[in-house]
Amino acid sequence: MENNKNVIDKQAHTDMAEVRMKPNRVRDIVEKIIETIFLLCAMASVISVIAIIAFVFWKGLTPFLGDNSYSFGAFITGTKWDPGNDIFGIFYMIVGSVFATIGAIIFGVPIGILTAVYIAEIAPKGLVKTIKPAIELLAGIPSVIYGAFGVGVIVPLVNKISPRPQGESLLAVICVLTVMILPTIINLTEASIKAVPKSYREASLGLGASKTQTIFQAVLPAAKSGILSATVLGIGRAIGETMAVMMIAGNPIGGIPSSIFDKIRPLTSNISMEMGYASGRHQEMLFATGVVLFIFIMVVNITLIKITNKAGEK
Amino acid sequence: MDSRKMKDGILQGLIYFSTAFTVLVLVVILGFVLYKGLPGINLNFLTRMWDSKTTFVKVVKEESVDNNTKDGYISSLGITIDLDEKNKVYITEIESESPVKEAVNLKNDSYPIKKGDIITKADTTIFENITIEEAATALENGNETMKLKVVRPGGGIIPMLVSTIYIILLSLLISAPIGILAAIYLNEYAKAGRLLNIIRFAIQNLAGIPSIIYGLFGMLVFVQMLQMQYSILAGALTLSIILLPTIISTTEEALKAIPATYRQSSLGLGATKLQTNYKVVLPNALPGILVAIILSIGRIVGESAALLLTAGTVAQIPTAFTGNEAAAATLTTKLYWLIKESGDLSGASSIAIVLLVLIIVLNIISKTITKHFLAKQGNK
Repeated sequence: MENNKNVIDKQAHTDMAEVRMKPNRVRDIVEKIIETIFLLCAMASVISVIAIIAFVFWKGLTPFLGDNSYSFGAFITGTKWDPGNDIFGIFYMIVGSVFATIGAIIFGVPIGILTAVYIAEIAPKGLVKTIKPAIELLAGIPSVIYGAFGVGVIVPLVNKISPRPQGESLLAVICVLTVMILPTIINLTEASIKAVPKSYREASLGLGASKTQTIFQAVLPAAKSGILSATVLGIGRAIGETMAVMMIAGNPIGGIPSSIFDKIRPLTSNISMEMGYASGRHQEMLFATGVVLFIFIMVVNITLIKITNKAGEK
Repeated sequence: MDSRKMKDGILQGLIYFSTAFTVLVLVVILGFVLYKGLPGINLNFLTRMWDSKTTFVKVVKEESVDNNTKDGYISSLGITIDLDEKNKVYITEIESESPVKEAVNLKNDSYPIKKGDIITKADTTIFENITIEEAATALENGNETMKLKVVRPGGGIIPMLVSTIYIILLSLLISAPIGILAAIYLNEYAKAGRLLNIIRFAIQNLAGIPSIIYGLFGMLVFVQMLQMQYSILAGALTLSIILLPTIISTTEEALKAIPATYRQSSLGLGATKLQTNYKVVLPNALPGILVAIILSIGRIVGESAALLLTAGTVAQIPTAFTGNEAAAATLTTKLYWLIKESGDLSGASSIAIVLLVLIIVLNIISKTITKHFLAKQGNK
């Protein structure tokens, strides 16, 4: 299809060239200029990515270079964050972020996949018309509202069952993140389930498999790559989420979480909590936190792009 | 056979449970927000400024002819006053010919007094622990040119609404043209190759960067290095980068849906590529572009982390692009600020309701356009 279009396009060009006896210089130049402007607009994304990486890394790596530098090892393995005394350790934040993300994936991915299965394979049409907008709304709810929901509902609930005096905890963060990644997982999984050819289902049913067996043994395996990219995207969402998490994490100044009832301080909330008033090295250290977060996100992004490109090649 | 039935049953149960969970969560969130926030939603909340404002005004009294003896009615000013629940004197009604509408502040700028304004001082009488009768007498018997201390009560979301709209307009003004032209380039001009791969890779990456990183970048470059301070321009510039992937990919989808024959016919008739793009491709992609813009508005309305670091949390109507007068809290940043700084969950929920209504309306609009668009294409 794509190739065909190109061939026809080219033909159209040659036809035109023949018709046009005298080349119209001005028009050609205008066309060229316009095309260049279009190209520049397209390059804006490239420039933005480069600028973001350059500036964040430049500012974030400053404290580890030159005289009077802070030890990068102490930064990455430290378990205490005390800007007042020039102590900047983010290991416990990395652990917090990773735990929270893993937790959200453990709950969010299965629930999301099963919901997608219901929408794509089981639900009657009328019901789909109610559930789909609900999920769209879930996807559109701003993260501060999830935060308010966390503060008003989840944190008090956790507080009731928690041995700790406060409800702000890893568990609360996991609960809210699970809900927040659900729409992403559901939408992508549903799309990939729908892309599975009908013949797969017919073949499976024809061999005597039940509807449920067909779903779990024929359809879902065929939708594997879509589900995988949904999961990776979910990881990216969870690790990068800031506002909702900041409101319910507790954000302690140190300590690796040892239970789900412990407070955590994700990388994202470390940045957004203190950026407003930080200056000098403190501010640079927040950028350094951003660099670490960025590296996590880059790994997620590139994995995702690899998966989608692979799926596209098939 | 039995074990298969059982397995099927369990799996089906899990499927139903998961779907019910997803829907239930939404119901709980909406229920919570409505329960907490609905009592706080009223006309004042939607129409007032956030901070209350105290102003001294001068009012020239008029000769009264009307001998209305209603409680709290002041004929020389043409207003009716009453006590609110905190025993403050406030204006319940203003006559159409009332001189308080011509009131001026101390700089002689017009500052018309409005319904709901609180009077805390008239000439030398301070209105504290005062009865209506005493207040009415003080107002009626005051000087010919009366000096009033007027407090316009706050508690409304107007500054945040206006700031949000400003930021929407500014960011779209920057990113919509760039995004649309970029999409046209990618779909109509670009040839497969390294450059195209790089651009696509960059767009995919942009889409995955969390907004806090954009916030860091915006703060460093726009707020600090370009010295815009916390301002709507710094916020809008940051947001316009965030919006690029959405606008580009949605527009591209619309472009891809246009049949190749349209372009071929146009080119075949002797139109240049630019003319084809401008007169054939773009008009046909318009609904898709509209959807891209509405999706972007939704994204801006919901954005908070990046704006927290670039636009600040001052509840004011911005009167400049950069600098102190341009600092602006949007609905989302104010919501966050309310919970974090003052623990006011009810106020935050009221703002959340406004946000949700906006998001739902935007969802419906984009759905309608898409539906209409698809129906139209199907007919052709």
